[in-house]
Amino acid sequence: MTDAIHIERLHYRVGNAFEIKDLDLHVPAGSIYGFLGPNGSGKTTTIRLILGLLRPLSGKVTVLGDPMPEQHARILARVGYVPEQPHLDTTLTVRELIDFQAAFYPRWDRARAEELVARFELDGDQLFGRLSKGQKAKLMILLALAQCGDLLVLDEPTDGLDPVVRRDILSALVTYVSERGATIFISSHLVHELERVCDWVAVMDNGRLITESPMEKLKHGTKRLVVSGVPREIGDPPFRMLSRESSNGAGESWVVGDWEPAMTSYIESLGASVREVIDLDLEDGFVELLRSFRGRTPHA
Amino acid sequence: MIHMFRAVLYTQWKWSRLIVVLGTIAAFAIPLLSVQGAARADRGALQAQDLLRSVQSWGSLYPLLATALGLFMAMAAWAPDHRGRHIHALTLPLERWRYVLLRFTAGFVLLAAPIAAILIGSSLAVLTATLPPGLQAYPIALGVRFAFAVFVAYAVFFAVSAGTARTAGIILAVIAALILVQVFASMANLDLDLFGAAQTALLLGPGPLAVFAGRWMLVDV
Repeated sequence: MTDAIHIERLHYRVGNAFEIKDLDLHVPAGSIYGFLGPNGSGKTTTIRLILGLLRPLSGKVTVLGDPMPEQHARILARVGYVPEQPHLDTTLTVRELIDFQAAFYPRWDRARAEELVARFELDGDQLFGRLSKGQKAKLMILLALAQCGDLLVLDEPTDGLDPVVRRDILSALVTYVSERGATIFISSHLVHELERVCDWVAVMDNGRLITESPMEKLKHGTKRLVVSGVPREIGDPPFRMLSRESSNGAGESWVVGDWEPAMTSYIESLGASVREVIDLDLEDGFVELLRSFRGRTPHA
Repeated sequence: MIHMFRAVLYTQWKWSRLIVVLGTIAAFAIPLLSVQGAARADRGALQAQDLLRSVQSWGSLYPLLATALGLFMAMAAWAPDHRGRHIHALTLPLERWRYVLLRFTAGFVLLAAPIAAILIGSSLAVLTATLPPGLQAYPIALGVRFAFAVFVAYAVFFAVSAGTARTAGIILAVIAALILVQVFASMANLDLDLFGAAQTALLLGPGPLAVFAGRWMLVDV
């Protein structure tokens, strides 16, 4: 499988306050790729680097097979983008914004745009500045979908929206992917939302990538283990130890990543026993990943 | 590219139509007003002097109008992009210089209306007035000069408006530094006239702003 977005050893710095360092990211073509991270972790900056809005100090960004930012015009013709904040001119109407956008995209799908105007119940004569937050989000999604790109880059597109609007937007995205086989790169800190739609997920914090894996692997590989009889040193385990706490005299509680049932034998080989294996949902796994990462990095 | 231009032209018209309409009305009216009451055929040399004075005093409005049109059109061209932090423009699928060119050209196309209004107003003014002997009308020359002045003003302000707040700050800082140097030079009795030098370089031919200087006469000897 080729990558819709391929980032190698990307380095970017904003003053002395924040930097993205040695970022490697591989977004498989045709995937819905969730980009998770707390506020200020570098998600939006990474997206801006992907779209050529910022220039990296070093490293390589390839989008849809072309280098960014060298081929930005060619790439952007195939990329739909929804930024975190509404960026469109508030004095233009919905219809005017659709017409403006249509003029710039050779693959613009007028029928799809009309269908989405009706589906999202948007009034074509309404000024963008007068739309509600949900309507603005819907219009921006509409503009991204109607240009028929091979890649959609969505920066927290449903942040602050009510559940009905969120569901409408996510449903439109999933329909689009199933019809066109496009790739969606969607950043969010709403873990449950991504859990429902994404098949790949990456987690970022403080400008560093903590993990990148298929959603199923992350969800099913992150467990809380209740272990008893554990020696102090456990060597180099075949799973990722995210946290290790003693559990009120009843052994220890571990949160592990990349877990597989066969790894129980490794723990038993240490003279310990696994008393319980508890499934964690993505949000718990996300929190544990962040805790573990921040415990390891002094600046986090 | 023609679709893109049409789309940019439409948005720019929407943002700046009030400026264009008011500028066009003013451009049409000034030449007519400048020769108002001019000149019946029986007027002699003294009346010719009066007419020249009237035309000259009204003539100072042409460079002002050209500057104002250039300034406001340039600001209108970039204001929505500045408000959206240029994200929309920068994510459109075309090279950035092309986008800038589209915005610049669209603005100048809209400025064709007041330029045409000057030409029409000047031509009407000289057709409806009877000029004293010895005086000649120059409506085409006035129109061409006005077009050039509008172009220069629009280009300068467009370039400044396109920049970030930091760019504007740098420009202001340079001007402030020049003023300070001049003030200290005067206090130290140094023979330094920065503004005179700048004026000479910019406003006297072949300076870039020379088109604004001098007399703007619809009617002259």
